[in-house]
Amino acid sequence: MPLLTDLTAAVAAGKRTDTVRLTQELLAAGTGPQAIVEQGLVPGMAIVGDQFKRNEIFVPEMLVAARAMKEALKLLEPMLASAGIKPKYTAIIGTVQGDLHDIGKNLISMMWRGANFAVIDLGTNVPPEKYLAAAQEHKAHLVGLSALLTTTMPAMKETVRALKAAGLPNTRIMIGGAPITQAFATDIGADGYAADAGTAVDVAKQLVASLA
Amino acid sequence: MTGCERVNRMFARQDQDRIPRQDTFWPETITRWQREGLQWDHHDALRLLEADFAGLCWSWPPVFPGQRELLREDAETETVRDAWGGIVRTWKGRSGTPEHVGFGCDSRAIWEKTYRPAMLAAPNQVDVQMAAVRYADARKLGQWTHLSGVEGFEALRKILGDETCLMAMVDDPEWIRDVVAVHTEVVLRSWQSVLDQGVKPDGLWIYGDMAFNHATMCSPAMYRELVWPFHKQMADWAHERGMKVIYHTDGRVSGVLDLYIQAGFDCLQPIEAKAGMDIRQFAPTHGDRLAMIGNIDVMKMATNDLGLIEEEIRTKFAAGMATRGYAYHSDHSVPPQVSWDTYKAIIGMVERYGYY
Repeated sequence: MPLLTDLTAAVAAGKRTDTVRLTQELLAAGTGPQAIVEQGLVPGMAIVGDQFKRNEIFVPEMLVAARAMKEALKLLEPMLASAGIKPKYTAIIGTVQGDLHDIGKNLISMMWRGANFAVIDLGTNVPPEKYLAAAQEHKAHLVGLSALLTTTMPAMKETVRALKAAGLPNTRIMIGGAPITQAFATDIGADGYAADAGTAVDVAKQLVASLA
Repeated sequence: MTGCERVNRMFARQDQDRIPRQDTFWPETITRWQREGLQWDHHDALRLLEADFAGLCWSWPPVFPGQRELLREDAETETVRDAWGGIVRTWKGRSGTPEHVGFGCDSRAIWEKTYRPAMLAAPNQVDVQMAAVRYADARKLGQWTHLSGVEGFEALRKILGDETCLMAMVDDPEWIRDVVAVHTEVVLRSWQSVLDQGVKPDGLWIYGDMAFNHATMCSPAMYRELVWPFHKQMADWAHERGMKVIYHTDGRVSGVLDLYIQAGFDCLQPIEAKAGMDIRQFAPTHGDRLAMIGNIDVMKMATNDLGLIEEEIRTKFAAGMATRGYAYHSDHSVPPQVSWDTYKAIIGMVERYGYY
């Protein structure tokens, strides 16, 4: 019988065939889908995030690891759904109004999914009211705002203002993107800032932990 | 001293009267400045700056020249299938990075059956007559002239999309090498067509954003294996023709500076401050082998705080000028938060601190 640590290693190495095979074998041996996700797949993506932060791996390796996990989740999600098991935390993510850039947002949502967040991706050019509506509808624990351009930073400020004004006590706001800094995040009242996709998982976990 | 002499002396690390100058502006910045006193367009701002560089042509070879199929539109954006076979959503009447909705080439089979032969067979898209006219005009003005175009990494992202190309770097590196090789061959052919008109540019200005604010998109080893040989091919082609090479990339590229030097790049631009790049760090370590253009932080410009901006310019000019291999440019494009009065003050600071 394979070990969950074998699955973790396969995900971290981006080996999708091995990841799927090990998932099937673990299921056949009686390991539950939730344990496979939480003790096999998620730790693999955590390794990826840590290696990415330290520049030991780069975006290509991160993408193939996320793809491996996604393939395994295709097997597991129907079982999780039928058992009524959902991720503990829900995140909304999007690129702010006026900005059509998407790769940064896509990497963050990939890593958040890898950390077992349910992620609702609103796409690009998202107006403040759409973030707000989605946060309310999905009872989001986290709202992530992305911006690539200096010219769209004001839209980020406006979105944070709208979300704060709505008074969502169980929602934290996190921002990121090429021109964004911690100073800007503090200035506009965002709850968190991450400089890269690896750090984004750490910050997200800290923010949702603060809700408890 | 003419701009051409000045830039050539920058490359030779010889004394100049002042540092060379160039800049780039977002279209919205020019619109704002026109309301605040700029008479015409970005050329007026560059004239006031006394910019020294002149581009002659732009080469980003499309796979399907002329293709632009409107798929849908709304009040703000339109979505089209473009000349690279991709589906992109762009703003109407506004600048900004487009959203890549989809890509036509998402497998090696499609590349080999359709895209590769189409790229190689596509007619040259560079306007060689216009390049010759611009060359003659720039020579009269004494400017440093360059051919411009896109290198292989940027071409990969345009043709395959980020996710496909970056994952294929792991899954199928030979495919990636082939795409970059074909693109490089077509770009060099297009530049050669300009030279064949009797134009003798001073250099190449190659564009390829291969990094973001954290690091390069791929590892230095992967860059060295898959893209670097074709960077070197471009640099060798230029050097064989007596031209210098400026490489443009945004993002944090501190991990590959030595590879750039080994590829034969003579200069790096724009050295993005908000990605953690700082010539006060890199000029002492690499400035003797790699000239540097830019690094003046647009985020500081955007504050319109003249004291903050002056400190930025004074200290970075001092670091760059110590190598004799430095030219002024913002670290990306001047954003519309910068007032025209502020930019005129910036030109004054460039004048004050930029003389040797």
